[in-house]
Amino acid sequence: MTGKTIVVTSGKGGVGKTTATANLGAALAMRGHRVVVIDTDIGLRNLDVIMGLENRIVYDLVNVIEGKCRVRQAMIKDKQGLELYLIPAAQTRDKDSIEPSQVKELCAQLEQEYDYILIDCPAGIEQGFRNATAAAQEAIVVTTPEVAAIRDADRVIGLLEASGLHRPRLIINRISSDMVRRGEMMSQEDVEQLLAIELLGLVPVDERTVSAANRGIPVVHDSRSSAGAAFIHIAARIDGEEVPVNQIMPRSGMFNRLRDMVGIKGRAYSHA
Amino acid sequence: MAVSDTQAATAGQNTSQRTARQRAVNITGRGADVAFVIDEHAPIEVVARDLGAQLSGRGSLFSEGGVSVNTGGRIFSSWEKAAIRRIFEDNSGLSVSRFVSSVGEDLTESDPAERRPRIRNPFRHKTPQGPAPAGSARPSPQDAGRSQRNRNHAMVVTSTFRSGETLRHYGDVVVLGDVNPGSEIMADGDIVVMGALKGVVHAGATGDNRAAIIALELLAPRLRIGDCEAVSGDGHKLPGSGDRTWASKPGQPLIAYTRRGGIFVSPFTGRFARYTKGVPYDG
Repeated sequence: MTGKTIVVTSGKGGVGKTTATANLGAALAMRGHRVVVIDTDIGLRNLDVIMGLENRIVYDLVNVIEGKCRVRQAMIKDKQGLELYLIPAAQTRDKDSIEPSQVKELCAQLEQEYDYILIDCPAGIEQGFRNATAAAQEAIVVTTPEVAAIRDADRVIGLLEASGLHRPRLIINRISSDMVRRGEMMSQEDVEQLLAIELLGLVPVDERTVSAANRGIPVVHDSRSSAGAAFIHIAARIDGEEVPVNQIMPRSGMFNRLRDMVGIKGRAYSHA
Repeated sequence: MAVSDTQAATAGQNTSQRTARQRAVNITGRGADVAFVIDEHAPIEVVARDLGAQLSGRGSLFSEGGVSVNTGGRIFSSWEKAAIRRIFEDNSGLSVSRFVSSVGEDLTESDPAERRPRIRNPFRHKTPQGPAPAGSARPSPQDAGRSQRNRNHAMVVTSTFRSGETLRHYGDVVVLGDVNPGSEIMADGDIVVMGALKGVVHAGATGDNRAAIIALELLAPRLRIGDCEAVSGDGHKLPGSGDRTWASKPGQPLIAYTRRGGIFVSPFTGRFARYTKGVPYDG
């Protein structure tokens, strides 16, 4: 069996990489896959908190790479009983304590046994980014519809392409359909046009994502959450299933369409 | 793809890595005719190195006599041709009898300065030498000569130019995609963007004020051509402020050129058209 290693990255911090990793990991496991999620944000680990596994950490990624424990010993099984395992990051070390080649070796080993290995990339484009992307065969770029996040996503896409990870796919997180309709937030089209990569999915802004993270249960387990449903759809697309992306259209209505046609700019944000 | 030396030194740029692996000179022979085919995109330094290595490596294979050099679509200047003749003479008993293009045109005698179409910008003769932008050295006469020589070497970028990516090219640059914010292109020649230009670009970077910037959408925060510079008033556009006379027609490509020491913009009607009704660029 050969699994697939996917890195979840963004450049900018706080756009939802860790949340996306936790939820996609859970959603893929719910589809019956054996999944490992790896937190490479050494020194600032969060994935364990979002998955509610903080108290169960004994060994971490650095221990595995330094040979202080076996890989199995560092893998923490998911609380909800899914075939989902977490390899947490070390909190007391820093990004320079591991090398990209070591992560590559670890993932190659895990690919023998698991279907998906999701790597949660730290913010930034330094050593942590190199560690996280080295092993990946595919990349998912998470962004929010904000100028700053898109700027960083653009930079990261360039770096991914330069390092051989062609065709990264895009998740637009925390999109608010109301704000898009009012013309106050970039629409999916605006973001797609600027970044010019394939869209993997849209995740609507949802308060339940925050409360789920605080409880340590990924929001995909909440059947009433729109964000959770979006992550389930994205997981299906990662799995190769054809699921249409929910369109969030900017400004409907006769007047606005006319305005778009004649090219009058009426948006509250600048070109990104 | 041709890349300048500075570009080739930039690690992680996929375009430059692609170049390094290619051979700049290929030897083709049919019967008694031996032709040296030169990659039209390779910089002259690479061509010279590769040619020297190939000739000295198997000098004994070639008998004495004249050979023809196929330059592809490129037009060598007289000093480049002299350099290539010298490499042949130094490394083998061969001498160059003629230079031909890939379509069989004889290029042995002509000089690029005569072959290149003159840019008919009515204002370029009047353009006073404006003050050099802060932080940049004035181009030396050698630089200006070099840019003139290399204007025929265009580089085509077939992908979106993303934030953080930089390109320094000694000829013209054509981007088949957008130039995103945070990226930088410096070219000795023209810069043509078949998409939205939102990054920082400098055309005529060695001081050639006749260079132009052409883009389908001109949204750059700063434009530089030669030693002229235009800065947009405010990076962030609020609703309503984006209306410009020349931007009123969506999909209209624009050309930016220098005039009276400033940068002006007009709807694009051809690279060598007369532009008289431009407006100063203000982003």
